[in-house]
Amino acid sequence: MVKYKKFTMPLILILGIILIGLFGKALSAKSAAVKDNRTEVVLWHEMGGPAEKSLEKIVTGFNKSQKKYVVVPKYQGSYDAAIQKILQTHNTNTSPAVFQAFDISAAQMMHSGFITPVQEFIDKDNFDVSKISPVARAFYSNKGKQQSLPFNTSQPVLYYNASLLKKYGITPPPVSPSYDDITRVAKAIYEKSDHKVKGMTVQIYGWLLEQAMANAGVSLTNNNDGHTGFPTKATITNPASKEFFEWIRENQKAGDFMDYGSGAMSGTNQTTGFLNGKVGIYIQSSASMSQLNKKNKNELGITYFPHPNGKKANGVAIGGAALWISNDKPKDVQQGAFEFIKYTLKPEVQAQWQKDTGYLALNKDSQNTSILKSLYKKHPEAKVPSQQLQEAVPNNFNSGILMEGMQKTRQIEQFAMEEIYNGGDIHRALKNADKKIDDNLTTTNRANGRSTK
Amino acid sequence: MLKTSTTDVVPEKKVEANSDRKFKLTAKDKYYASIFVGPSLFLLGLFVFYPMFRTLYISLFLTNSFGNTTLFVGLDNYVKLISSPDFVASMWVTVVYVVGVTFFTIAMGLLLANLASQKLPGIAIFRTLYSVTMGVSVSVAAIFWLFIFNPSAGFFTLLTKMLHLPTVNWLTSPTNAMWAIIITTVWMHLGFVFLVFLGAIESVPTTLYEAADVEGVSSRYQFFHITLPMISPTLFFVSTITIIGSFKSFGLIDLITKGGPTNATNMLVYRIYNDAFFGGNYAKSSAEAIILAIIIAFFTYLQFKFLEKKVNY
Repeated sequence: MVKYKKFTMPLILILGIILIGLFGKALSAKSAAVKDNRTEVVLWHEMGGPAEKSLEKIVTGFNKSQKKYVVVPKYQGSYDAAIQKILQTHNTNTSPAVFQAFDISAAQMMHSGFITPVQEFIDKDNFDVSKISPVARAFYSNKGKQQSLPFNTSQPVLYYNASLLKKYGITPPPVSPSYDDITRVAKAIYEKSDHKVKGMTVQIYGWLLEQAMANAGVSLTNNNDGHTGFPTKATITNPASKEFFEWIRENQKAGDFMDYGSGAMSGTNQTTGFLNGKVGIYIQSSASMSQLNKKNKNELGITYFPHPNGKKANGVAIGGAALWISNDKPKDVQQGAFEFIKYTLKPEVQAQWQKDTGYLALNKDSQNTSILKSLYKKHPEAKVPSQQLQEAVPNNFNSGILMEGMQKTRQIEQFAMEEIYNGGDIHRALKNADKKIDDNLTTTNRANGRSTK
Repeated sequence: MLKTSTTDVVPEKKVEANSDRKFKLTAKDKYYASIFVGPSLFLLGLFVFYPMFRTLYISLFLTNSFGNTTLFVGLDNYVKLISSPDFVASMWVTVVYVVGVTFFTIAMGLLLANLASQKLPGIAIFRTLYSVTMGVSVSVAAIFWLFIFNPSAGFFTLLTKMLHLPTVNWLTSPTNAMWAIIITTVWMHLGFVFLVFLGAIESVPTTLYEAADVEGVSSRYQFFHITLPMISPTLFFVSTITIIGSFKSFGLIDLITKGGPTNATNMLVYRIYNDAFFGGNYAKSSAEAIILAIIIAFFTYLQFKFLEKKVNY
């Protein structure tokens, strides 16, 4: 008996491990058995709050509309955090079949080799994409090949407090205003309110700088923002971005500009400031509109994103996110993923989505649905972002920046904006930003074995 | 009686006999040692040592978009970091933050503990109040302070408006943001530090104070010459954990400033997280992690070498 005693301890350990293994296996087998014979398609998304509820409605609608597939939505937290999760779980059994990834990760996803370009399914199914907004499609395509299809799409727009303008007798800005048009209104608000209401704010947010450059028709990197090859050099230091910052500086000097900073709450603080009538004009995603409409006591005014003086607007790029199909799943699961994507782009689904969330309906036919018609009747200004989206003609400047490491680039842009807002030299701040992005690009290209010329 | 005493003695003798021999592990000892130490060594190896060496390994390479090592670059990542003004600024910011937090936490903690150690009616209320921040989680504290710092409707803004003072931009100006973070962290740490100090002060023998009272010594003199020396082990402990804790501070920075404005609160730990999970540059952030580990080890060493000698046990 004593002889065997020394084996007891290891034996117990080994038995324990086997038991846990078996038990775990039985558990997972059990959960697999619960499924019916529909093919499961796991969807990873980053829609929180009311948008999540609305997305779940779409998923339920899809699951009811057919008998072959069942989509299982799983919330993954913020856009930013989701990217690394998607990349790091690829080829494991936790990875999604279809996932939502935001605009600036497009290049990363495209070059990852982890996705099946939706173009393959579009060709196979003869799916007609001509109804889907061309600017939005261009954002997620490379050299004419559609990589993913846009799902939730927003446009940067300018919001103003229309009641305030009426109160002080200020002429509202035109639908497509220039920087000077906005300066005029902002200064007038500040002066006529006896310096009680600030005229305008522009959030320290890299997206807005990118949009200012897109709208002016200049690119952020060489190789046409990455549309004709891997970017190797940043070109933020250009007359268009300088004009953008000089516009902000002019308003800072006049005293009508409010700086909400870049911290965790800056977006919320800015919205609160606008709703409480502390600041008259601000620029934000069109997706904020449903929230603004719900809580606003004042009349809401909306215009296009402002453009440089004396020039025609080039049109802005879209924001938001797209649905991508992962290539580590069997063919039928991938087909199911595409069926779901097709469903999300139906006119009625997109119209309801716009009404619920403020993201813009991408299907042209959505505009004729009764859902959007009644929305526009109630809020005529809600039409403006959709018009901006429809008017834009896609070119390399307003089709997004196909560069890996855009998340870091955003932070570098924000750093430059902070420097400028705190009184730093515009040229120097932009030059520094270019240098930092170049450094990152060099490292990225070296690490991925590309030439750095 | 006698019997028990003899049985008590016997094993002692055995032990003595054992210790006379040179200390040597028998096979049986080794077997038992491996059973007792083995599991924890295995777990430590899996979750501490392996990641540590893996981090060191990754830091000598470049990583591609998926975080895989691709190109060996030796110490290139480190050289790049140390020569980048951004990273050096981050190190400075971290040092300022750590020194600020440690100083104010200890000073405030001592002050409050000393006040609360008075034997007065109703003092228990204050003791509870001073230690209440111990029960507040980081996210709750962050939201709470964000409301206070809010530029349009925050408490500080309303206060300055009421007193007709110029408004302070707490989170948009780089210097103020650092103060905002320090204040918040000190507030968070204070409850625990207060409680530890209070316990230490309470355990100082009252006879010492009575003797001092007889001599007619001022209470300030008593604090510096009786209380402080007597609680020096606690002081040492608190300063060590506060320094290490504030080097590793993450939650408040992420929830309040996100490292901004202009990197004014971009501490090392936040930078590591940011470069890895936003930038996707795992090599760079591994190198930063190694540098941070070295810095913390250095500070801990300094403390044990110099401070511990001064401690009056």
